[in-house]
This record gives sequence, structure tokens and C-alpha cells, in this order.
Amino acid sequence: MDLALLASTFVTVFLAELGDKTQLAIVTISGTSTRPVAVFAGSSLALVLASLLGAAAGGSLSAVIPTDALQLAASAGFLILGLRLILKAAAPETEEAS
Amino acid sequence: MTSESTSPTDHPRRAWFTAFFTTFTTVFLAELGDKTQLAALLLSAQSGRPVLVFVGASLALISSSLVGVLLGRWLAKLMPAHQLERLAGLLMVALSLWLGRQAMLHLSPLPTDLLQG
Repeated sequence: MDLALLASTFVTVFLAELGDKTQLAIVTISGTSTRPVAVFAGSSLALVLASLLGAAAGGSLSAVIPTDALQLAASAGFLILGLRLILKAAAPETEEAS
Repeated sequence: MTSESTSPTDHPRRAWFTAFFTTFTTVFLAELGDKTQLAALLLSAQSGRPVLVFVGASLALISSSLVGVLLGRWLAKLMPAHQLERLAGLLMVALSLWLGRQAMLHLSPLPTDLLQG
């Protein structure tokens, strides 16, 4: 019975995360980083901790943590990363070669 | 914050940590801020075997980030660096606008009605 519970949770969560915006972010960060292992370690730890916190805080997650403020912070983070990438891509070839 | 652009003489371990920290903060903030049904799922299953459910969920999350990283590496091989960077940059900006919009809608639903009115 245990294996069934483990497997069903695995499949449900895996499908829920597939194509989720965080996974898109992981794809973009890892695609443009020379440290994929660091990206993998960072994203896995973040996902596990966030879901642990989410479960531990129970239904009152938003009461415990200002989730909208967090989302604004996350959007700022993505914006900075995105602009950095765009600027880096726009940098003239010579500058990249140095 | 990806520090590859800094001079190669940078201590490699520092570059590794910067990539780790950047990814951790952005993914953690986005995931925690997102009231995904994940928390509800883990909660609803708590009555049964919380540890088992948590292990299953963690394995799934780790696998999904592995898929993300591998997909990223595959894209990096497929496309020239600057093209991928431009595309990735645009996608990140779009993600950021989408996240920001979602947060603003929660924070201040009223003004948007005025805008439409």
C-alpha cells in the first residue's frame, strides 16, 4: 500500500510541476548558466523547502507569509534576471569574446 | 545575477555559489508566493502517511527540476548562446510581468474594475 501512496503522490506532484512557471524559470536559468549542477541544487532545494513550508504552515500559509508580497519579490527577481540576459545577449560580440 | 559574465579569474566556487543562490531565491520566492494546490495536496494527504507523501512530493519536485535543468542544457546545445540568452531573457521578463500581474490582482482588485469601467 505504501508504494501506491508514494507513487501516486510522485505522479501528481510531478505532473503539477510540469510546465509550471517555476520549471520554465529553471529551464531558462540552466540554459544560460555554466553551472547547471548549481542550478539543479538550488532549484530542488527551493522547491522542496517551499512545499515543506507550505504544508507545515497549513491552510494559513497566506496568514503566516505575505504570499502576494513574495510573488512581487519573485517577479522583481525574474525581471532582473531577464533584463540581465537580454543585455548580455545584446552585448556586442567582441565584448563577449574578452 | 548569473555571474558567468564576470572575469574568468573569479573564484570558480564563488561562481558556483552565485548560480546556486540566484536559482534558489528566485525559485523559492516564486514557489512560496504561488498558492499552488501543492500545499493543499500535502495537507489533505496528511491524515494518511505524511512522511511518505512528503518523500513522494520531494522526489517529484527534484525530478521536475532535473527535467528543467536537462531541458535547459539541451536548448543550450541547440541554439547559439546569444540567441538563447535573448529568448530566455524575454521569457523571464514575461514570467515576471505575469507574476507581478497576479500579485497585483490579489493586492488591489478594485482599481482594475475602474480601469475596465
